[in-house]
This record gives sequence, C-alpha cells and structure tokens, in this order.
Amino acid sequence: MSDNHTANRREDLRLITGRGRYTADMNLPGQLHAAFLRADRGHAEIVSIDARPALTRPGVVAVFTGADAIAAQYTHFPNLMSFAGRNGGQILKPERPVLATKAVRYVGECIAMVVAESALAAQDALDAIEIEYKDLGAVVTMEDALAAGAPQLHANIPGNLCFEWETGDAKAVEQAFAKAAHITKLKVLTTRVAPSPMEPRGCTVSYDAASESYDIYTPSQGMMMLRKQCATLTGVPEEKLRVHSHDVGGSFGQRSGVYPEHGAQMIAAKRLGRPVKWVGSRAEGFMSDAHGRGLEIAGELALDSDGKFLAARYEFLADMGAYLTPTGSISHLRNPATLMTGVYKTPALYGSFKVVLTNTVPIAAYRGAGRPDIAYAVERLVDRAADELKIERAELRRRNFIPPNEFPYKTPTVGVYEPSDFAGCLEQALKTADWSGFEKRRAAAKQRGKLRGMGLSTIIEATGAGVFPKDQVAIEVDVTGKLTVYTVSLSSGQGHETTFTSVVADTLGIPHESVTLRECDPAHALIGNHTGGSRSMAGVGSVCKIAADKMIEQAKPLAAEELELEPSQVDYKGGVFRSHDGEKSISFEKLAQKLAGRQPHPMNTLAEATVGSTWPNGCHIAEVEIDPDTGVTEIASYVAVDDSGTVINHAIVEGQVHGGVTQGAGQIFHEHVIYDRASGQLQTGSFMDYCMPRAGLLRDMNVGDHPLPSKLNAIGAKGVGESGCTASLPALANAMTDALRPAGVGHLDMPYTPSKVWHSIQAAKRR
Amino acid sequence: MTKIELTVNGKIHSREVEDRALLVDVLRDQLQLTGTHIGCDTSQCGCCTVHVNGRAVKSCTMLAVQASGAEIVTIEGLAKGDQLHPVQQAFTDCHALQCGFCTPGMIMAISAFLKDNPHPTDDEIYHGLEGNLCRCTGYINIVKAVKRSAELMK
Amino acid sequence: MFQFNYVKAKSLTEAQALVAANPEAKLLSGGMTLIPTLKQRLAQPSHLVDIGGLSELRGIEVKGDQLVIGAATQHVEVATSAVVKKAIPALAYLANHIGDPQVRNRGTLGGSVANNDPAADYPAAVLALDATIVTNQREIAAADFFQGMFATALQEGEIVVRVKFNIPKRAAYEKFPHPASGYAMAGSFVAEGAKGLRVAITGAASGVFRWAAAEKALTTKLSADVLEDVPLATDDMNEDIHATREYRANLARVMTKRAVKKLLAA
Repeated sequence: MSDNHTANRREDLRLITGRGRYTADMNLPGQLHAAFLRADRGHAEIVSIDARPALTRPGVVAVFTGADAIAAQYTHFPNLMSFAGRNGGQILKPERPVLATKAVRYVGECIAMVVAESALAAQDALDAIEIEYKDLGAVVTMEDALAAGAPQLHANIPGNLCFEWETGDAKAVEQAFAKAAHITKLKVLTTRVAPSPMEPRGCTVSYDAASESYDIYTPSQGMMMLRKQCATLTGVPEEKLRVHSHDVGGSFGQRSGVYPEHGAQMIAAKRLGRPVKWVGSRAEGFMSDAHGRGLEIAGELALDSDGKFLAARYEFLADMGAYLTPTGSISHLRNPATLMTGVYKTPALYGSFKVVLTNTVPIAAYRGAGRPDIAYAVERLVDRAADELKIERAELRRRNFIPPNEFPYKTPTVGVYEPSDFAGCLEQALKTADWSGFEKRRAAAKQRGKLRGMGLSTIIEATGAGVFPKDQVAIEVDVTGKLTVYTVSLSSGQGHETTFTSVVADTLGIPHESVTLRECDPAHALIGNHTGGSRSMAGVGSVCKIAADKMIEQAKPLAAEELELEPSQVDYKGGVFRSHDGEKSISFEKLAQKLAGRQPHPMNTLAEATVGSTWPNGCHIAEVEIDPDTGVTEIASYVAVDDSGTVINHAIVEGQVHGGVTQGAGQIFHEHVIYDRASGQLQTGSFMDYCMPRAGLLRDMNVGDHPLPSKLNAIGAKGVGESGCTASLPALANAMTDALRPAGVGHLDMPYTPSKVWHSIQAAKRR
Repeated sequence: MTKIELTVNGKIHSREVEDRALLVDVLRDQLQLTGTHIGCDTSQCGCCTVHVNGRAVKSCTMLAVQASGAEIVTIEGLAKGDQLHPVQQAFTDCHALQCGFCTPGMIMAISAFLKDNPHPTDDEIYHGLEGNLCRCTGYINIVKAVKRSAELMK
Repeated sequence: MFQFNYVKAKSLTEAQALVAANPEAKLLSGGMTLIPTLKQRLAQPSHLVDIGGLSELRGIEVKGDQLVIGAATQHVEVATSAVVKKAIPALAYLANHIGDPQVRNRGTLGGSVANNDPAADYPAAVLALDATIVTNQREIAAADFFQGMFATALQEGEIVVRVKFNIPKRAAYEKFPHPASGYAMAGSFVAEGAKGLRVAITGAASGVFRWAAAEKALTTKLSADVLEDVPLATDDMNEDIHATREYRANLARVMTKRAVKKLLAA
C-alpha cells in the first residue's frame, strides 16, 4: 500500500474552486420552500393552535401542524438500544410526532411547517400562526429532572428516567474495595456541547406519485442508515426511499439520525406533489441539531499498597434531552461500559447507568460518543490517585497497563481488546514531549508569573461495529477500462475519495486516476454501514481491499482466456497479468477494455465482510500555561502518539487528529451549551455566545505514529476519527489540574473558561 | 424591488432584487454561484466571504442593493482558467480542508489578507483568520497553507 | 428580515430629509450591527437610508491639535491610515482590533459611536480622548454623548457626521476580547492629553465610563502599580454566562494596567 504523504486529495479541486455540491446548493424544478415554527419555551402544553392565518399570507401554499403528523402516524423515532436494562426492563421510548401536538418539550421543537413559493415568504408567514400555551415548568438539568415532584416530560416515563442498566460484577468490586489500601474518588461532568458542523442542516424531499417513492436530498453519514431510520419513522418501505447525499459539510455524529424535519417534509412533498426544500439557519441548528456528551460520571478506584488497581466502579447519569435519538442512548451506555477499564488491568469492574430526559435538545452520538467521556473519567481518576499516593503519573500508568502478553485481552465487562502496545505509545510520547524536563519549564513560567502544567492521557477506543451485519463494496468497470468503486458510507471531510481509491488502485497496481469513488449512489443500494464510530477505513476501506483482491482472482480466468493459458498459469503483479515465464502478458486496463461492452462487465466485483470493533489507542500529552491575571490559558505544546493501525494516508490521518484534538480543546476551554435553569431558555444560541475554537487555539501539534496493524480486518487499520477527542479531553484537563495545583486549586469541571479559572485562583487565595 | 447591477467575476449582471435580499442570496439563488456558503446568521463564520471592490466582505451581512455597481469576486472567479490561485493551491497542498464547507470563505479571506500583508507572522495570521470558523481542521493546516500561499505569491 | 425600502442617499441633506419624512426609517452605514439585527427580525424599519457612500462623511485629517475622522470611514481605513498612526497610534490599534477583518472592511466609526453598544471599542477612545461628535445639527462633547446601554444624546433625525479627537501626548488601548463574539469583555483606553489623564473603560459595564479613581491615582504617579488597589465598583459591572461582575472588574483593572505599561513603553 503506498503511503501518500502529500495531501492533494481527489476531492480537493472541486471544493477549493466552489464547485462542491452541498444540500443547499441543489434545487429541483417546481420546488417549494419550508419554514418551521419552533417552540419558544422549554416545556408547555399546546392548548390550541390556529395555523389558518398563515395561509392568507403572500406566497403561502400550505401549513402543516401536529395534526398532520398524527394523521400520517409519523410519531415514533427509531432508537437503536439493543439490550434490556436492570431487571429486564426495556428502554421507555417517548412518543415524538414530527410536529408537536399536545406539548412542546424543548426550545426549538418543531410545531408547524409553512410551505411557500419562496423561503422568505415561508419565514414571513410563521408569525401569523397563533398558539396558546400553558407552561408546564422546564427541567434542564438531570438533577432537576430526577428530583421528587419534578415536572414530568412524558406520561409513560415516570420520574423522567427512561432506562437503568448495570454491567460488571458489583459483588467482586465491593470485596476488592473492602481490602483496598487506598480508594480514590472523583465525580466528573462531560458538558453538553453543540457539534456544529459548518454546513447547516437542510433537506429537499420530492415525491413520485407513480412509484409512491420519495427522493430525500440531505446531508447524512451514509444513505442506508438514514434510509432505514426514515423507513422506521414513517412506515414507508425502504425500497421506496432514495437518500441523496453529495458533499457534506462535516457531521461528527450530528448527522447520524433522522430528524423531525425529514418526516414533515415527506408529508408535505406527498400532499403537495411538489418538491419541498428547507435550509436550516445556524440559530435553528443550535436549538434543534442533536447535541453531544452530557454525562455525569462518579468514579471510584481501589488500589493496593503498590499502586496496583484492584477494582473500579462508575455511576453514570446520561442526559438524553427531551426525546431519544437513534444513537444517543446506546452509544452513551455501551461505549463507556466497553472501555471502563481503560488501558489498565482492573480485575473487578462495575458500572451503573441511568438515562434521564430533560427539557433540552435531544442528544446523539458526537465524535467519540461516550468514549471521550469514559476516557476522561478514568484518566482524571488515575491522575488523582497518582497525586494522592505520590506516585509519578506515568509510573502509575506503567504499573497498571494491560501487559503485551495478555492480548487478546477480555475485559471484565464487555469487549476483547486486540494487541496493543500501551507502554510503547507512552514512552514515545514522553520522549517527544520532554516529560522529564518539564519542571524546568514550569519554573521558568513561574518567573514570568505564569502557571504551567503538563498532563497526559493513555486511552483506548472501540470503533463502531456497525448497525448492518456487513459492509459491501462494488467495483464496476466502464467501457474505457476505468473503475468506479461504490460504497454506502459517506465522507464528510474524511477524504474517502482519496483513500478508498488508493486502496483499490494500489491493490490492483494501477494508477490512482483510473479509479473513481461514488458513495451513496441510490442506484447502488448496497448493504453497509454509515460513516461513524471511526469505522470507515477499517470497515469499508478493508472491503475495498478485499474487493480489489477478488477482482484480480475473478479476472485471472478471463486473462488466461485472452492469453490462451490455463488460469493456474497466470500471475498478477503491478497491474499486469503474466504467464509464469513472462512471455505472455496483458495489462489490467487492456483486459478491462477488451471485455468492455459485455453487460454486466465480467470483471465487476461485489465483495463484503463483517468487520467488528477495532481498538485504536494512544498517548497524548499537553502542556499549558495560565495567565493568573486573566485566567486565560495557552496550549504551549501538544503531542499525540496514536496507534491507528495501518495508515493509508498520513496527511489525512494527521488532519483527523488535528481536528479531533481541537474539538476536544474547544470543549475543555470554551464550548458549553447553557440553558437557563429557571426559564428553560437556550442561552448559547449563536456563535456570538457559543464559543467555537478559532485559529491559534492550538498553534501546533506533534503527531506521532506507533502503529500495530490490526489483524481484525483485511487492511490492518484501527481507525482515527475520534481518538483526538477521546485523548485530548483528559490530557488537557490533567494538564490544567497540574498547572492549577500549585495555586491551591483542585479539580474543576470543564470548560476551563478564563472567568472560571480566574475565580478558582482567587478563591484559593482567600482560603 | 430594486434594479441592481453587479460585476461578478468579470461579468456584468443586472437583476431585480428585493430590497432586503442579501448579497449572498443573490449570488447563490439568482446567479447560481453556490460556492459562496452560508454557515451562520450572526456574521461569525465567514463561509460567505467574497471580495467587494477588492476587500473581503461577509456577503451575508451586506444587502445586494448596497453592492450595486461594485466589482465582486467569488470563489468561482478566483482561479485564472485552469491556473489555481496560490491560496487555492496551498490549501490542497497543505491538506487545509476536510469537509470543504468553510473553504471558499477561508480562501477568499486569506487571499484578501495576503494582499495587505504578504509576509505575515503566526500571530498576524491568527488575527487575519478571526472572521472565519472551521470545524474540521483545527486550523493548523490552514495556518500552514497561509504561509505556503505567501511563498507561492513571492 | 422584514420588508423595507432601501434608499441610497445622494447627500447628507437628502438623508436628513428622508429620515425626517419617515419616522420609522433607520440610517444604514456599514451595517455590521444593523443588518444582523434585521436578520433576526429584531427591528422593522420602514426605510433604510444608506449614508455609507456619502463623501461628506468620509476622510481622515489632522486639523490643528485634532484628528478629524468622517463618520462613514471604515475601521480598516482608520487602522491602516498613516495619518492616524502618526497622530494617535492607539486609535489605529483600536480600529485594528474591532471585530474581524471582514467587519473592519465594512463597519464605520459613525455607526459604532451612534449605536453605543456597551461592548464596542470606539466609545472608549472617544471618551478618553475627550472627542467631539459633530452631527448635522450640532457638536456634542463625548462626556454628554454616551448615555448608557445603546443610548446616546442623538435626537430623532440627527446624523453623526464626523468625530474630532483631541490628539493626546500619548495613549494606549488594551482589550480583552470576548472569546466567541470578539466584542470587548473589557477594554481600557488610557490617554494623556491636554486636560490631563483619562481612563475610559468599555465592555465591562452597561456603557462606556471614565474610571475616575484610576485617573486620580495615575495623575499622581503614572505607573501600572498604583492601580492595584484603586477602587472599582464591582456592582456596576455586567454579569452574564461568560463572565461574572468580579471577573469583568478584574479585567478592567488588568487591561488598564497593561495599557499604562504600553503607554509608558511607547
């Protein structure tokens, strides 16, 4: 496999010249435009709604309300929770009409949809809709939602608690804690954040009455997952739904699910017989795009007198917002449960989980989806134990790493780790970051009046095993002998057009330009998973390799026929079929051209594989410097050493690490969705108040590689999309804690805003 | 409705527009120049950046009527035929884009910025990028691309 | 955005007449605050009278001991003007730190001053430099002009034409930008002028204000150290999800110290 160090991705040219095709860029003949009336309060009964006045406004064609959602029976959203809870209880699923009927449960919930001849006309008419509300009292924190006498969001979900689950061995953990020499405790929050891909959400739906089928143009993470979810929501058979996603402006998990707007526009497109287009604004995004994280994790770690881990237990509270998204609940339970032991040998483990509903935007998977949260809880706990026991932080980790000879390692909860070299990643990172020379830099910073700190994290992830049973890849040969690779995963920045085609071209030994990728072509509805859970290279990329290998084997008899040989007499190397003696040969391209015109082309290949979780891991080290006068933190240096398995394209892998770490840094220092506890109003509803990372937050990053190719897939990839988030939350928080310790400041919850940091230093001074 | 005349990427366009129409909407919906993107509604993200009379402007915060008579360059007009603008070239060379949605605005902002400051320091680059958000790259490769552009423009 | 009629004024007189004839009209200059406000449907003017292109409102020149800048002069012009850099470099620095490059390319001095956003940068310079705001009707001293959050002495139909800044002996501006919006969470303009030393704080309270106690202390001894214990009423500061009153008061103090250090180093 070639290792392309230079970027120049295949997708770049159209994107840098303004010729990308994002959802809002596409228009259909005769299309109408939709605008949504959204709840302006957190929790209220809809006493009455009169949409008729909007119909009299110029350009308005129709108005839809909850009554239309009920009539269509678009009321139950898919939820992927696949296991039973405590005492066999199933997750309690709230009813969620695509347009609210009896009540609104978060600011931003869709209530009505105006469809008009122009987007402005539709927006103009929204204020003509008359609604009478009766406030029910909003609960925007889990504490408030679980309190006795709290307002109830859904009649079928008593106490706003929709699921309870436990995993591990409570008794073994209890016994281990009883004999522990030391117990460390820490409760942490991973704050609710807004994923905010730069392309706002949007959708255009058209309906074909003759075939009773729908075309849905929308950004997604892969068409089959969204198609299946749309089918579940609407009852329309999957084969009657065609999802079209072309260029997608970032996803990060936020596009992993079907949204109410998809369903509402399907109703309108069918009723009106014209395509219906909606392009969301950023304000709508903040109040209705799925949020991420939102976990409270109380951890306890039991150690013996040598600092060896004996047991750990965690209590999780997962905020799901007002309704359940497809991915939120399962990813925030299964992923932490799988990774509760981290990279350490912990003989006994126990976790208990509560899934809570609040009057906030529903939560879905967000870059890491529970993995950063548990890594943060574990790594903060380990750092605190090191501090309490006065054992050097890297040393405490070394003592507890799962040793190389114990792989594959079955964790005490769920999951079997593949071979990893945790100590190797750690040592490489420590050396690169000059860990041992840190105290000198701290002293120098002190001279300048600054607080400097260093922190590390050693982490592991389980990549997404997928929702579909297998991943299929098709390769088709056109009349010129060129190849088109079809997949149903979807790049939203990950560069599949470059990497998947290079896997195929390099396996075949043909020029990269001879291979083109088409993802999510509705005419090629293969079985396969969406892009998510860092799985696409290990899952789909490896099937690209299998497909190319299969293509060679499939073509050998055809080449033999051309060369008048037996198939067993033909070798394939460097793009050429040859007789053993090298006398006769035909190139791949020539053969493909010769056979062109047969329908289907006899070299066309369909390959598939079932690819489960792989286990990317690594060590990140951050160094920070705080200005105590203002509480402002500068990230002084950042080192990432990742075992992502086989790397197909270094530039792209580095880019993923840059982006993931920056999103982690955004969450650690600034990003935080805030609701007013009293009124339920969203206070961070725009980029004026929700602080996104900007240029200069991370000035540079040293990205190192410590690959141990995976044996769990054909290509050896482990995945890299989420490791930046997962490793950076704890590395940065540990660095901040280290920097603040000399000032007398203990654990702080993220985000470390300047105001919070300054206050914590002032409070410590007063103590 | 008001009649306006815009010179966009060297071509003169006359259009009747609503007085409240934003420049970005006219570029996208009436002139089909969809390379200029809309990423927010509070003038923060910079995805809609175009050049108006040589200066970088957020086309979501300018009325089309205000731009009447102006010379406008959008991302579609930056390359000279097949010859990419140095900033475009640097973006692909440095892997300074992932999803590509913020990219047109970034490139337009940077190409204007480098005209005024052809040899920026790192801090000047951060200052020059304050009007543009990117969610994918962490900006590290974008900053590299700015420096690379400066080299290419020498 | 609601509907409105756009009129491009050909002269100040015409703009005046249009505003007088249409009580619901609003003046449009760079539009950096007004257009986002309209997009959020927070205002519904009948007319927008565009005065951004009026040559009468443009220009930068030194007249005697004053630097005179036309109201429609964009921030970028002030930031890069050789005249401003020579006369009041702190003002060029301030202009170069408003918003972001795209905002500086459109936003204007007059728009900023007339809007009087409590977190805007220009009001700090106007107040600290004891500037005079010249309108189509009269001249208003800075001290009388700013009247708290978004409030000014401007009457209906009154249009800011230019601002006359007194050129100080030396001055400096330091700002702590809001991490998301870029507005001043606290900004301090310190100027040593003919009438003494002035400290104007923006961003921290409901409107720009002079920090009298700091002025007094600095007049006694021009050194950042003297500001350590100078009283600053925390209760008057703004508090929101980003910063407490105490933190804003601290920022005002720290920014003032830094401005003094910068002024002394210049």
